[in-house]
Amino acid sequence: MNRSIRLIAALGMLALPSIVKAQSITGSIAASADIATVFSFGAPSPLNFGSITPGTAASASGYIPLSRNIGVIYSLPDGPTTGLLTGPAAATLQPAYTCGVGTTNSAITSAFASCNTSGNQLTLGAPTGTTTEFVIFNGSLTAGQTNIAPGTYSGTIRVTATGN
Amino acid sequence: MTSRTGLLPLFALLLASWPIPASAQSKQAVSITPVQSLSFGLLLPGLREAVSVTDVSRRAVVALAGDGPVDVALVLPSAMETATGERIPLRFAASDAALLTTSGTTLSVLDPLQVNRVQLGNDRTVLLVLGGTAVTSATTRPGHYTARVALLVNHPGT
Repeated sequence: MNRSIRLIAALGMLALPSIVKAQSITGSIAASADIATVFSFGAPSPLNFGSITPGTAASASGYIPLSRNIGVIYSLPDGPTTGLLTGPAAATLQPAYTCGVGTTNSAITSAFASCNTSGNQLTLGAPTGTTTEFVIFNGSLTAGQTNIAPGTYSGTIRVTATGN
Repeated sequence: MTSRTGLLPLFALLLASWPIPASAQSKQAVSITPVQSLSFGLLLPGLREAVSVTDVSRRAVVALAGDGPVDVALVLPSAMETATGERIPLRFAASDAALLTTSGTTLSVLDPLQVNRVQLGNDRTVLLVLGGTAVTSATTRPGHYTARVALLVNHPGT
């Protein structure tokens, strides 16, 4: 009889652990995405002083758009010769510029301290979302500057944008 | 006789517990093996990006193996986040999950928002696949966003 009890108890013990065993399992899956940095120049609109009568003043405006969703440091790598115009016989003409960045292509809202000095930078923070802004240059020539040899005078305004 | 009467509770206990091991053995056989993450890839701000269950390179894949019916539930995150707490909301539709064979044949469409009864059999592996939609906005900041989907597999009645 004792042997039977022991046998039954042993069988019962074999069975009991299964009663309390957890019957669920869990796993997990990762999900991921990367949001791209947006940082690119668009098509520029050149400054065109047009056809100037010698001895008269002239002005022009131009811009280049930049789309970005990060901060930016603008710089003018040519420093004092930024936007220098070169004409016949290597004659040069240096317009006076005001320059900076605007939310539209016509009004500067954040200006460079100077457009024609070395090491000049303009730092703007990250926008709340992707934005397109405009680096604007307004150039002017005095009457005295335009009393020069006729011909085409042209140059390049170089702007560097570094993601920040 | 008195001593045999004393055995009755033990017999009763034994009989009551006897069916459990048989079913418990099959319940223990289920396994979950993550195979592939749900990967939305490189997204642009301001655009919705959906990963379909048929998108073999970006959908999540989990291998389930075992016997018997199981209830599969997914705990779906509401958003992916960066380490600094910026978020991209996630959306899951009723057709964003499916059960496939390992050769890619669809066995059934699953609703990831519900508990789904799945029949496992013959220790054959089946694949649970999951898609979803990431909803970025124009203000979503650049960065790496992550989330985790928890998968719960329960035997019915437990």
